[in-house]
Amino acid sequence: MPGRATVRYGGQTSCVEVRTSAGTTVIVDAGTGLRALGQKLARDSGGAARRHHILLSHVHWDHIQGLPFFEPAYSSGNTVEVYALLTAADELQQVIGGITRHEFFPVPLEAIPAEINFHEVDPGVVMTIEDVTILPFALNHPFGAVGYRLDADGTSVAYVSDTAPFTDVLHKQHFLSGPEPLSDEDRRVLAEMRGALVAAVRGCDTVIYDTHFLPEEYARFPHYGHSTPDQALEIVAGNDVRRLILYHHAPSHTDDQMDEIAARYKEQGAAVGVDVITACEGMSLAVGPRGPA
Amino acid sequence: MKIRYWGVRGSFAMCGKEFLRYGGNTTSVELVTAAGARLLVDLGTGATEYAKTLMAGEFGQGKGTLTVLLSHTHLDHIQGLPFFTPFFIKGNQFRILGADPAGSSLKGTLQNQLAPHYSPLNGLENLAAGVSIESFLPGSELTIDEFEVTTAAVPHGTMWTTGFRIKADDRVVTFLSDVEYPAPHRPTREAFALAAGADLLVHDAMHDDAAYAMARGWGHSPVSAGVHLAGAAGVGKLVLFHHSPDATDAQIDKLVEAAQARTSIPVSAAAEGAYHEV
Ligand SMILES: [Zn+2]
Ligand SMILES: [Zn+2]
Ligand SMILES: [Zn+2]
Repeated sequence: MPGRATVRYGGQTSCVEVRTSAGTTVIVDAGTGLRALGQKLARDSGGAARRHHILLSHVHWDHIQGLPFFEPAYSSGNTVEVYALLTAADELQQVIGGITRHEFFPVPLEAIPAEINFHEVDPGVVMTIEDVTILPFALNHPFGAVGYRLDADGTSVAYVSDTAPFTDVLHKQHFLSGPEPLSDEDRRVLAEMRGALVAAVRGCDTVIYDTHFLPEEYARFPHYGHSTPDQALEIVAGNDVRRLILYHHAPSHTDDQMDEIAARYKEQGAAVGVDVITACEGMSLAVGPRGPA
Repeated sequence: MKIRYWGVRGSFAMCGKEFLRYGGNTTSVELVTAAGARLLVDLGTGATEYAKTLMAGEFGQGKGTLTVLLSHTHLDHIQGLPFFTPFFIKGNQFRILGADPAGSSLKGTLQNQLAPHYSPLNGLENLAAGVSIESFLPGSELTIDEFEVTTAAVPHGTMWTTGFRIKADDRVVTFLSDVEYPAPHRPTREAFALAAGADLLVHDAMHDDAAYAMARGWGHSPVSAGVHLAGAAGVGKLVLFHHSPDATDAQIDKLVEAAQARTSIPVSAAAEGAYHEV
């Protein structure tokens, strides 16, 4: 969202950098924010070959469209490891490769100089990247999405985007023009998903959560696959989480509205013992008592 | 005829203070005749701003009709499609016209953009409005309401795009975005023919002349290519377009100044929300 209304909170789509004290960098999501991050990483590397790790929550455009503009991918010698939830790594390659088909982008995947490897993520199955332990968990979003808990430096941060609350089935692989009636099996699957999410974020220092909607907006679009800050608070409150980061702001929310949202939920969070912070572009936070500044 | 710029940025939408005056949205341009007929060129992110003004009128009630021309299907020229709100209102009627990308079809390409992995819309068939997607061969002449449009293929790196010569109200606007000639001073015959005697030329100006040395073959023009074509083809006004994602407002000001120093034809840079009365 370019323009005057998003100058302070930022208009780029989803992208977060997690850095450990040992210097390991794990990128979560590859929205348009990845372009500036890639420029920074390329500068920081001073030309040395690097291995970059990108965890994708899912492959909707707002979470991948920065990939073709990731500068380190244009230096041979670099490696880019891409992790995502899909049924097979070759399908993943096709889907990610699909965004650089010549119809869409001038440089095809095969012509990108860096080595690019695709890894399939399995909810519940722990992965390790250098000194970071990663637990993926399933989320309730059209066509499926996955959140991640990252543990390193004796602390943890969770990334929970994109997801709706667990009251309607959105994660199936078909178009929804509105919420659909629930079967008993649907209820069981949703309860299980919610349970796994609550367990995954338990004890996290910081939880970054899809809080796209205000409650009145959510009521109109419950099938879009996004949550409200209230729903995020419901997941983290009483779950030993120190801090909640409001994230994935609606494109229609202006900086002034975001100020109001930030103030309103700061207060609501404080009432349940959670420090609520509203993400803005360029913001950098120390995670946990031993996290890097 | 009036031309209004809704998105002027090339390749990548840019947010932030440095891009406020010229704007960070990707390409979308509206043409309006004195009688009120409209035509939209390209569906970059700028189209979503245009959509807001449409929704305030008959498109909000499902009674709007509009034709959209696409120069090509690189993402910066179509990424506004899934967020173009009038597509979600039943009753609105749209025609999207463009050339088939090599080895593929226009409709298949847009369908692929909305494929379930990429978009919750899950395909063109889920747009509530009537959207007809029609391919033309570059070189075709199209009549769209009061607009007479001449199309031609122009080189764009390893592919080509469609340039447009749009005539209405007895005035001519030429649209040449995403184009790179064999050399900046050697426009192709097709590009020259589209621009000949135009009242206003909108031209790719992605690179300043120094940066172009590094970017040769990527499919975009240095500012001097537009300046040269405008002079050679005798156009009335040159508008620099498809600004580099790295070009700040201050840098674009400088590009305009440098271009103006080399021609007597009035030069300006397209700015989001601004218009020219042609
Ligand atoms: Zn999203
Ligand atoms: Zn372009
Ligand atoms: Zn292009």
